[in-house]
Amino acid sequence: MQNRTLSLLELTRMVTALVQRPETQNVWVTAELSDVAVRGGHCYMELLQKDDRGLQIAKARGVIWASSFPRIDAEFFAATGQRFSTGLKVMLRVSASFHSVYGFSLVVSAVNPDYTMGDLMRRRREILQRLKQEGILEMNRQLQWPAVPQRIAVISAPGAAGYGDFINQLYHNPSHLRFSTKLYPAVMQGATAPASIIAALEAVATDMDMWDGVVIIRGGGATSDLQAYEDYELAANVAQFPLPVAIGIGHERDITVLDWVANKRLKTPTAVAEWLVALGDDALGFLMTVGNRILQLTTSRLTGNKEQLAHAEGLLPIAARNAVERAQSRLRNAATTLSGISGRRLQPQLTRLDMTLKAIADAASNRISRQRSLLDSRQTLLEALSPVATLKRGYSITRVDGHAVTSADSIRTGSIIETTLADGKVISTATAVETSSGNR
Amino acid sequence: MTPVKELTYNQAISELESILRTMQSDDCDIDRLATLTRRATELIAECRSRLVATDEELRTILATLEK
Repeated sequence: MQNRTLSLLELTRMVTALVQRPETQNVWVTAELSDVAVRGGHCYMELLQKDDRGLQIAKARGVIWASSFPRIDAEFFAATGQRFSTGLKVMLRVSASFHSVYGFSLVVSAVNPDYTMGDLMRRRREILQRLKQEGILEMNRQLQWPAVPQRIAVISAPGAAGYGDFINQLYHNPSHLRFSTKLYPAVMQGATAPASIIAALEAVATDMDMWDGVVIIRGGGATSDLQAYEDYELAANVAQFPLPVAIGIGHERDITVLDWVANKRLKTPTAVAEWLVALGDDALGFLMTVGNRILQLTTSRLTGNKEQLAHAEGLLPIAARNAVERAQSRLRNAATTLSGISGRRLQPQLTRLDMTLKAIADAASNRISRQRSLLDSRQTLLEALSPVATLKRGYSITRVDGHAVTSADSIRTGSIIETTLADGKVISTATAVETSSGNR
Repeated sequence: MTPVKELTYNQAISELESILRTMQSDDCDIDRLATLTRRATELIAECRSRLVATDEELRTILATLEK
């Protein structure tokens, strides 16, 4: 039994020899990352293993020397879209090392990004699956932005480069599109980011009527820590947010759950601003197109009408002449037709009229001649009956005292007798009266 | 007709589209043409004014943001 006291260095060298054995060199190990930091080109980190309840059951310091870190980092980022950051599950090729001053550490010489990707995918799938089962996965994506979103609630870190880029891009748009924005500040990095962003969303929700939509932006950069965005609570809040949400959290790949639930996904804050400006420009373009189209339609319609008018003007004199001629010919036709009609219609009437007239005339003349002959015969009779005729035949009328005497008895001797002859009178005095029956 | 100021942007755009359709159709008579054109011009001007800020407004906004 040796009682010799060792120097610390002797002991640590013994430990180093025990640790750095072939079986601890260049072995693949899986672990969860924590406290990643880059100093002097070297990348330092804690490697953890947790049990089912999240308790740490193994922990070791890890380091990627500056000589290999740029290559490993680039390879990892290219495959996963992630930088080494807290919460990532990684598969690393490590060599156990024990340094007399710095103690135990695992020196990383390679990384297998597939393992990290698989883990990220699995975690994202779980979150997406849950959102889907709850029926909220598509909710925000089904919301409609207004044709031209102009009132924008911005969730970002105040003073961050990404926010500045966004505002600058938005307000210095060449078309002078009108925008109004308000910053709802939030922590955009690290483990507190989800809760902080959720609080900002709630603040936006309280004055929801003021906004057309929400943008969640943060500047990109080499040290993107997107693990914070792989968060169920945050995704569920965004998914159910009543206004459409646009995301520009500065990453190149479709890598966070937020991108699945947000209404609009863009790479960077600048891209979000450009998108909004483009919508406004489209609307202005549409207005200009409509304006031009209406001008064109009006002009062509007016031109068409003018031509029509000119054409009509040219036609007018001819048309008038034609019209007059047509009217005249119509009139002639009508007259012809009319006379034809009246000929056919009137002739029988006229004939009948003529006949009637003749009948009337005949009747009248018949009547007259009958009257005349009647008159003639009366006159003859009258003449026959007249005393003149009798007188002419030798008879005479004897009157005494103006009375015609028909008997000798009415005459006395000495009576003045007036004898009327056909052509005159004789006045005589009766000297004797004899009657047929004897003298008196 | 509703004054253009009282229309929402979307209503104004739909009316513009409908005017355009009417003007493109053959049965749009020339008497209506003037009315439609005037209305369309008003609608376009109103929509533009809602989209675009005046220089003065822009200065005010930017001044507020820089604070």
